[in-house]
Amino acid sequence: MTNSTEERGVRINVSQLQKSFGDNEVLKDVDLTIEKGQFIAIVGKSGSGKSTLLRLVAGLEQPTNGTLLFDDKTIKKTDASVTMMYQDSRLLPWKTVIDNVGLGLKGDWKDGALRVLQAVGLSEFQKEWPGTLSGGQKQRVALARALIREPDLLMLDEPLSALDALTRTEMQDLIEQIWRDNQFTSLLVTHDVREAVKLADRIVLIEDGEITLDLENPLPRPRDVTDERLVALEKQVTNRILEEEPSANH
Amino acid sequence: MSNTFQKQILPWLLPFVVLIVWQIVSMLEVVSPSLFPAPTTVLESFYELIVSGTLAEHIQISLYRAFVGLIIGGSIGLLLGILNGWSKWSFFTFDTSIQMVRNIPHLALLPLAIVWLGIGETSKIFLVALGVMFPIYINTLHGIRSVDRGYVEMGRMYGLRGWQLFRHVYLPGALPSIFVGLRYALGVMWLTLIVAETIATSDGLGYLAMNARQFMQTDIIIVTIIIYALFGKLADMIAQVGEKNALRWHPNYRK
Ligand SMILES: Nc1ncnc2c1ncn2[C@@H]1O[C@H](COP(=O)(O)OP(=O)(O)O)[C@@H](O)[C@H]1O
Ligand SMILES: [Mg+2]
Repeated sequence: MTNSTEERGVRINVSQLQKSFGDNEVLKDVDLTIEKGQFIAIVGKSGSGKSTLLRLVAGLEQPTNGTLLFDDKTIKKTDASVTMMYQDSRLLPWKTVIDNVGLGLKGDWKDGALRVLQAVGLSEFQKEWPGTLSGGQKQRVALARALIREPDLLMLDEPLSALDALTRTEMQDLIEQIWRDNQFTSLLVTHDVREAVKLADRIVLIEDGEITLDLENPLPRPRDVTDERLVALEKQVTNRILEEEPSANH
Repeated sequence: MSNTFQKQILPWLLPFVVLIVWQIVSMLEVVSPSLFPAPTTVLESFYELIVSGTLAEHIQISLYRAFVGLIIGGSIGLLLGILNGWSKWSFFTFDTSIQMVRNIPHLALLPLAIVWLGIGETSKIFLVALGVMFPIYINTLHGIRSVDRGYVEMGRMYGLRGWQLFRHVYLPGALPSIFVGLRYALGVMWLTLIVAETIATSDGLGYLAMNARQFMQTDIIIVTIIIYALFGKLADMIAQVGEKNALRWHPNYRK
C-alpha cells in the first residue's frame, strides 16, 4: 500500500519465554528470533501452546518468565503495528463490512478502507452486514481489517482452518501475495503442514510447549504444492510430528 | 385462496362470533344491562368520553405517569446493569442488594409508597419506576456479560479502550437482550399503573374505572379495559419497531 516497503516489518526476539496457567506450564523456555519480514509458520498438535505463544507476542497475556523484544524494544515501548487474524473472523456482526475494517481508526479512514477491501476483492460488499458473507469472504474482510493498519507484524491463528479446500487455496495465495507486496513479518499458526511449507520461509514445530524442530524453507516462490521438494519437506515435518506419538505414552 | 382464508379470516372469526353473541344476549336482557352492557352501549360511551374530552384528560395523565416512570426506572436499571456487567467491583457491591429488593413484589410497597410519598404523582411514578427497573437491569446485565470475549479481545487488539470498547462492542452486543428487558418492562409498567391508579388517585384511567364502579357504569369500566389493552399493544409495537431498526444486523430480525 505504501512505497516505503523497507520501513515495514519488525524483528522479534523471544528469549527464555515461559508461561504457566496455575500449575499448567504451557510454554517452557521458548527461544525464537524472527527476522524482519520473515514468514514463519508454527505447527504442532492442538493444545501444544501455539495460540498462547501468539497471545504473548500480541501482548494479550503477560509471560510468567522471559523477555519479548520488538526491534530490541519491549512490547510497551514498541511502536510497531501488530495485527491478528483469528480462525473465527471476529467481525462485529453489528457493523457493516467497511465499518469493521475501520474499527478503532481515527481521522479519515474510508478511502484507505476501500483500498484494502479492493485488495482482498470485496469492495462491492462494503455496505453489507458480515452475517450475509461466506466464511471465506469474512476472512478476507478480517484480512483487510488487519492490512489497513499497515502492520509490521501480522499474526494468523489458524485463519483458514474453517474454510473449504478451494477457498483455502485461494486465501493462501492472497495472503502470500499481500505479504510479498508489503513485506511485513508474518507469524502463522496452522495445523496444516502443507499450508506451512507452501507459505513460510521457516517452519517451527512446538510440542508440549517446547520448540522441537526449526527448519528453513528456501524454496522459490510462487510455490507449487506438487513440487517434489515441497512434498518432501511436508513429509519430513509430518513424520517428525507423528514420530513423537509413541514417546508420549511412556 | 384457502390459505388466505386460513391466515387472514379464520383468526378473526371467534372474536366476531363472541361479539355477536354478546350483543344478542344483551339485547334479550337475560342479565341486567347495567352489569352487562351491549357492545353498542360500550361504543356509545366510548364516543361520549372522547367528545367530552374527559378521556383525553385521563389518558394524558396516565401516559405521563407511565412515561416518566419508565424513563426514570429504565435509566437506573440500564445504568446499574451496564455498571455491574462491566465491573466486578460494582457487581459484588450492588448485585446482592438489588436481588434482595427485587424479590419484594413491588406492588406490595403501594401502601408504604402512599404513606411516604402521599397520593400525588410521586408515589405512582415511584412504583412504576421500581417495577420497570428490574427487568431492564437483569437483561442489561445478562446482555453485557454474554458478549463474546473473542470480540472484546479483538477490540482491545485493535486499540479500543474504555468508552470506545463499550460503544462499539459491549453495548451493541448487549442490545438484543436489553430490548427483551424493555418489552417485558412495558408490560410491568402498565400493570403497575393500573393497580396504583385504582387505589390512590383522583385522575387517570384507573381512577376513571374505579369511579365508574361506584356508579355501576359497567360500560365505562369496559372502555378503560379496552384502552389499557390498546396502549399495551401500541407500546409493544413501538418497542418492536425500535428493536427491528436497532438490530437490522441480526439474522433474526432480517427480512
Ligand atoms: N487463559 C487460559 N487459562 C488457562 N489455561 C489456558 C489458557 N489459555 C490456554 N490455556 C491452556 O494452555 C494449553 C495450550 O493452549 P493453546 O495455546 O491454545 O494451544 P494450541 O493453540 O496449540 O492448540 C491448553 O492446555 C489450554 O488449556
Ligand atoms: Mg490454538
